[in-house]
Amino acid sequence: MKTSAFGRNLWLSWIGVIALVVVWQVIVALQVINPRIFPGPIQVLETALTRVPVDELFGHLRASLLRVASGFALGAVLGITVGIATGWYRRLGKVVWAPLELLRPIPPLAWIPLALIWFGLGEESKVFIIFLSAFFPIVTNTYKGMIQTDPVLLRAAQTLGLDGLRLLARVAVPAALPDIATGLRIGWSLSFGSLVAAEILAAREGLGFLVMRGREIGEVGLIVYAIILIGILNLVTDHLFYEFVLKRRLRWHFSS
Amino acid sequence: MTDTATPRIVIDHVTKEFVSREGERALALADVSFNVGANEFVSIVGRSGCGKTTLLNMVAGLLKPSSGRVLVNNRPVEKPGPDRGMVFQQAALFPWLTAIDNIEFGPRNQGVPKAERRRQAQALIELVRLSGFENKYPHELSGGMQQRVAIARALATDPEILLMDEPFGALDELTRSQMQDELLRIWEASRKTVLLVTHSIFEALFLSDRIIILSPHPGRLRKEVKVDLPRPRQRTSKEFLEYYEEVHNAIF
Amino acid sequence: MQSSRAGRRRLPGSVGDALIGLATIAVLLALWEIAVQAGALNDYYFPPPSKLARSLVTLTTTGFPRGVTVFSHIGATLMRILLGYALATVIAIPLGLVIGSNDRLYQAVNPIIIFARSVATISLLPLAVAWFGVGEISRVFLIAYGCSWIILTNTIHGVRVVDPRLLRAAEVLGTSRRDMFYRVVLPASLPRIFAGMKVALGLAFLVIVAVEMIGTVEGLGALIMEARTFYRTDTTIVGMVIISLFGFLLSKFLDRAERALLPWAAGLEEVER
Repeated sequence: MKTSAFGRNLWLSWIGVIALVVVWQVIVALQVINPRIFPGPIQVLETALTRVPVDELFGHLRASLLRVASGFALGAVLGITVGIATGWYRRLGKVVWAPLELLRPIPPLAWIPLALIWFGLGEESKVFIIFLSAFFPIVTNTYKGMIQTDPVLLRAAQTLGLDGLRLLARVAVPAALPDIATGLRIGWSLSFGSLVAAEILAAREGLGFLVMRGREIGEVGLIVYAIILIGILNLVTDHLFYEFVLKRRLRWHFSS
Repeated sequence: MTDTATPRIVIDHVTKEFVSREGERALALADVSFNVGANEFVSIVGRSGCGKTTLLNMVAGLLKPSSGRVLVNNRPVEKPGPDRGMVFQQAALFPWLTAIDNIEFGPRNQGVPKAERRRQAQALIELVRLSGFENKYPHELSGGMQQRVAIARALATDPEILLMDEPFGALDELTRSQMQDELLRIWEASRKTVLLVTHSIFEALFLSDRIIILSPHPGRLRKEVKVDLPRPRQRTSKEFLEYYEEVHNAIF
Repeated sequence: MQSSRAGRRRLPGSVGDALIGLATIAVLLALWEIAVQAGALNDYYFPPPSKLARSLVTLTTTGFPRGVTVFSHIGATLMRILLGYALATVIAIPLGLVIGSNDRLYQAVNPIIIFARSVATISLLPLAVAWFGVGEISRVFLIAYGCSWIILTNTIHGVRVVDPRLLRAAEVLGTSRRDMFYRVVLPASLPRIFAGMKVALGLAFLVIVAVEMIGTVEGLGALIMEARTFYRTDTTIVGMVIISLFGFLLSKFLDRAERALLPWAAGLEEVER
């Protein structure tokens, strides 16, 4: 049931977007800038539909999503495991976090040259970069979630008879879930950023590849089209994650 | 099972010293001794720094004494366990579980089958008068309601002893008064041995058979007061206020 | 409603922990060196610390590529970050203050901002090159672009979540509308604005390193890319370590600055979308 305030907001938002598109088209029509390098919205759509047939587009989307998904999955599994282990076993944590803290400030993309040396130009190097982009925020947030668990929850569980691994699995990890979820969300977003850069460097399909192809053939419209697609994909996946995972399962933390 | 003649809890010349990270030593408790009999309701009162929470934690098994012994049913306390239920000031309910799931938490860990767990938990919900709220999450409940769930959760493992660390300290005065009535009713129905730590002399007098008064820095046994009034007690009766004066003077 | 987050502990850190950390790293380095000497690790793919040290010396003296010392690289990167960042601040903060103060305007532009923020800055590199060529302008532009959205979002949020009680208190004291903005809203939004600036600087650093890998030979990103082209794994790794240190120092610097400028509200986390 939409309240009038919500209705008004939606209205305004649409006005904003439409206004932007109109202004864009007007600037282009005025030929203020060379239309070759600054195409209007209509031109972008035209380019999109002619240069990239729909079935080919799906191929690119699929390739990109697959890359992000695999890199992210690796980063998530390793990140959560290391985060939980180092958060629970403090000695282990002190030892492992020393080298991790050193590696963390390195931007994932700065690993590209090394990745190319180690893995060559194939899929592995791209997935490696994406893995790194996801791993660090996930492991950091998981670790933070584990060590910041309210100690009274652990004490309460102990007085109910829990100990050792049971205490970890039934109390510490569930308590850390909101932070883990935040880490996953950030990791996904960063993975997307790295995906494009990785694909720009060397790929035969994918959205980043489309961006490069636009550049090579001098079709700026294609570049813009691919970039917008990337943005939409990022937004949509993030929104889905937020709605279905965070709000449903972790209602107790995120809805208040 | 133990008979009702031996004391449930024995605090035997207990001393506790804390050492901070920087190496500073602080004496929390110095040579405290007292007993708690079966089915007794005993309160510990004292100003901040008298070590009452530390003492409670030792009975719970969360801390060990530096010297002296803490015995439960004549055996030294090794670690926390479901035989000594505990209720904390902050309720400490697991936020990702509903009220009834929180209550089932202990029995679940003990391997009680699902149908049985549910039945027992439902009975406890009714005992603490929260019927209709069993599927709510902690963040959907008021402070008083959360504490009721906490009490039910502690009772779910059918402990012999109930340890309570200022359970109503975070509640407003009116709710607190109500909760005291509730606690009394629950205790009379379940007849557990209760050790309650509180800041409130009124609370201690209203609920307890005996009151242990500790003086601070370091915690030492100041006085034991036996409250010889029939329950339910009138918070405004002459006898009540006389006891109040006695305890108050012992503390200050 | 009681918060289950009452009593959270701060992250641990003490001299003892630092020593364990250093010891661990030292041990790992030693094992690495031994492994290469013993032939277990290939010294091309995993150049040992001894080789890395020599490479570092070269970087500081004769430079890599010839003539470009590590200091020039750092200088070039720093310059680009500063220019782009300054540009972003100058544009985004005033804009953010305006948008944050006007609810209608906010509703209208918010979806655009959210979308623009979703577009990974680095993906705009080919576009920037198409517009501005391969020179410095496209690089600075990208930094400015990426930072602007973050600073903008946080500034807007900072203005919008000013505690209404503060506003009411000021109103009761008879504050003029002009004063209300400059003496209440602005200072109250500062912590959030600063949080945005911190994150933006982090992003600037991320972006510039990536962006420098194409089209230039000076700069930290360029350094590691060039090194790879010439199969100098050792220089690549040294470059990465320098980048890591650089990033680390940058964030420490910002923490210090925040504590100095905003002592009453340090430690605020960045707004999530």
